[in-house]
Amino acid sequence: MNPIIHAVNLTKSYGNKKALDGLSFDIAAGEFLGFLGPNGAGKTTTIRILTGIIKTDEGHFTIDGPDLPDKRQILGVMPESRGFYPWMTPMEYLGFFADLYRIPGKEQATDILLSQVGLSAQRNSRIGTFSRGMKQRLSLARALCNKPKILFLDEPTLGLDPQGQEDIQNLFTKLHQQGITIFLSSHLLDEVAQLCSRVVIIHHGRLVAQGSLAELQVQIGSQNSTLKDIFLTLTKA
Amino acid sequence: MVLIWVCLHVVANSVEAEPQASDKSPLAVQIGSTRSLNGTAGDYVTITAQIRNTTSRPIDKVTTYLSLADEETKLPVDLEDWSAEKGLFIETIDAGQTLPLQWKIHFVKPGAYSLIVVAEAAGNDVPQTSTITRFYVKPKHNLNPGHVLPVALGMPVVLLFIMVIVTYKRNSKVA
Amino acid sequence: MFRYIWIKEMKGELFTWKSTLWLIISSLLLSFTSYSFLTNKELCLLDQTEMLWLLGEIIVGTGLLIVAIDASSTVTGELENETVESLFLSPMTLCDFVLGKFLACLTLWGFIFIVSVPYMLVTSAGSRLGSAFISYVFLLGTLVVIGFILLVFTLSFLYRSSKNTLTTSLIILMALAVPAVFSSTLKNNPFGWLLSKVNPVDNAFSALDNVLVDGQTALSQNWPFLLPLLIFCLLMLAFMAYSVRCFSSEGIIRNE
Repeated sequence: MNPIIHAVNLTKSYGNKKALDGLSFDIAAGEFLGFLGPNGAGKTTTIRILTGIIKTDEGHFTIDGPDLPDKRQILGVMPESRGFYPWMTPMEYLGFFADLYRIPGKEQATDILLSQVGLSAQRNSRIGTFSRGMKQRLSLARALCNKPKILFLDEPTLGLDPQGQEDIQNLFTKLHQQGITIFLSSHLLDEVAQLCSRVVIIHHGRLVAQGSLAELQVQIGSQNSTLKDIFLTLTKA
Repeated sequence: MVLIWVCLHVVANSVEAEPQASDKSPLAVQIGSTRSLNGTAGDYVTITAQIRNTTSRPIDKVTTYLSLADEETKLPVDLEDWSAEKGLFIETIDAGQTLPLQWKIHFVKPGAYSLIVVAEAAGNDVPQTSTITRFYVKPKHNLNPGHVLPVALGMPVVLLFIMVIVTYKRNSKVA
Repeated sequence: MFRYIWIKEMKGELFTWKSTLWLIISSLLLSFTSYSFLTNKELCLLDQTEMLWLLGEIIVGTGLLIVAIDASSTVTGELENETVESLFLSPMTLCDFVLGKFLACLTLWGFIFIVSVPYMLVTSAGSRLGSAFISYVFLLGTLVVIGFILLVFTLSFLYRSSKNTLTTSLIILMALAVPAVFSSTLKNNPFGWLLSKVNPVDNAFSALDNVLVDGQTALSQNWPFLLPLLIFCLLMLAFMAYSVRCFSSEGIIRNE
């Protein structure tokens, strides 16, 4: 079966610093993939390349086959940078993006999105008054605006309280059950271990390991290791 | 006799005296009635004067012009600002002839002024001036020239009003 | 697609009081100026045509200043507030983005012009130059503003910083505007003449002078001034196209 994301030899440098160095991996359709790496490993660069924000220096990738002219129609992204327009309300913000995606019936669609992320009560409040957690939820709502086939999540639960984290994680599980392919980049290894069926670990822009938790335990030769142990072992080497 | 003398004196004073020549200049200049010169800033007035050839020969190429001074600052006034013609040129004044002179000026700045008319004849080094005429220009107070006040006050108020309405409507919609 | 960017920008300007405050301030400036022109004893010395010319210069100058300040932050603001990534993750192209922002800045000039129309009407009352005055302020102001917006956008894409863009834009504006108000005697030497021929602000002011003071109201009589303005706009468009290409090749987000 063809992978929904097929990345080959992704290489990207910023000046003299190599952010990605020949990274290759595949993601199957419907998979919930955890993408791990220490700070500066190249996780956000990888997401930005796959979502078209920046161009790769070498290598190539395909998303959902080579024939789709504009991949952005099927991608939902919750990026690392979470800027908003403080004067807007969530209804206006999501309505604006619904216009950009040409979503019909945008009022109803934005209502549903806001109820999905738990922001219905704040639908007409200014975003400038939102807490960090509320902004995270709104960012997720925007990522789901176009009913994406593939969802990229860059540190989605960072800054949320435990209840908020659980709510969002439950939402991810529900979305995954609906058949959405999810690419999750997170430092919260417990979250990744709980949600993801497979993990890719990168370090210094290179692939270090990939596989399910069981496969990674075999790889490092320790059946009882947690994902944290595996991560620390593989990235220290 | 006394009565006849008085009558003659009154008659003599009621007629505008012709310009009198000085000992040296062949020309005599006199400004017209000064009563009409007092005005208000913004007025357009006509200054009249007369020039007379007091000699028995014609005089050629005579230039006459106004000289205006501000009595307060004791400085001459640039007549270009007052839109006065620079000077009047007379080709020839016949012997004994009296000619009228006229300048239109625009009262620009209020204040007290002194005015003389100067006449220069070609070939004569000594110009002839009239006696000093003093007049006063009253200030003009117009708070709404050209109906600018409604626009000047109204536009910012209207804009502010529109913005307040828009903000009020927005705030009532947004929590 | 650019339409949504344009509408979003206009709403942002309206609801944040940013541009509207500038409009109110420029209205106050025009109120003071037109009232002073008509009531001040010294300024009443001005021939009406010279008064209109001065007012036209003030309207165009104010428009240029406000639009330069607005344009400096409209592109770089998205980069600095980290909203640009979300925008480009949607099916919006860079062309849509630039066009939407450009139209928003141009619309601001439109509002400034509309605000100035009553002042132009009241100061030109009694002369036969009212329609020529209003038409040429609109035409010349629009041409200069278009060129300047493109210039500021060029700087925005190159600098990626609103502070640097704003500072450079204001310095360029000053460098163009100051020689434009020099007297004609200072422009008599070859260098001054050349500078006045290429300076778009100078050409705009000279065209206004030609129309209002010299009474040359036909378009054909003002081509020597309009042509440099059109060339300025085209040049700035070319520069902006180049800067957008550089911006695109470096990536929308630059890892610094």
